[in-house]
Amino acid sequence: MAITTSMATSFKSELLQGIHNFHNGSGGGTTTTTGTGNTFKIALYTSSATLAASTTAYATTNEVSGTNYTAGGNTLTNVDPSASGTTALTDFADSTWSTATVTARGALIYNSSTTAGSANRAVCALDFGGDKTSTAGDFTVQFPAADASNAIIRIA
Amino acid sequence: MIKLAVESNIGEVVVQTTTNRGFSPEELAQRATDQIVTVSSEAEPIVRQQAEAFKSRIYHVVLGIINQAIKSDRTTLCNEFVQQGHPDIADILRRL
Repeated sequence: MAITTSMATSFKSELLQGIHNFHNGSGGGTTTTTGTGNTFKIALYTSSATLAASTTAYATTNEVSGTNYTAGGNTLTNVDPSASGTTALTDFADSTWSTATVTARGALIYNSSTTAGSANRAVCALDFGGDKTSTAGDFTVQFPAADASNAIIRIA
Repeated sequence: MIKLAVESNIGEVVVQTTTNRGFSPEELAQRATDQIVTVSSEAEPIVRQQAEAFKSRIYHVVLGIINQAIKSDRTTLCNEFVQQGHPDIADILRRL
């Protein structure tokens, strides 16, 4: 049982298939059809979970439970993909569970689109480095600066 | 043979939690500042010094705006509670 920070291998393959769209609202898609960005979510997991590059989809097994935490996690706010030098990157707004009592060791970002092929497909697993606990307080996942060296998802 | 190497990377998230309270304006201002300004560890000392000074200035501006937003929101909430017939709750909120 371990959580390892990693990009899902299935996600890399799905990128090449055009399955994921990180635009916020309208945008992206194919050259002939303007698409709309998918909805991505972040779910929290206990230290008993196994999340790694081999994770392919969101699952409820070992997902945390607690006051003001709903199964499936929080919906993320996409930041439109951009480029910095030769690196393409995308970002999300920080995510907070308010007045929450919860303990988590890691998280999974996944595509919660209901479209066949992309529904609940894993993007990446995040290891918090240790159990993080909020007690009747805020539990915030802060994403790194959106630049070529730090952004949460980068392709160089 | 032509080879194209593409590298994908995951950034490092930071988790912040609180117990029996929300985040303070100082904590939020620091978070905002860290996202607005990043200083490379490899930057020249003089550049780094200027960047740190700029970052400090940003922190204080953001902190001031956050405090103002809290006060302003409480004014709105206090008025709402009074209009809804709960002046006692409005008083509690005003004294926070």
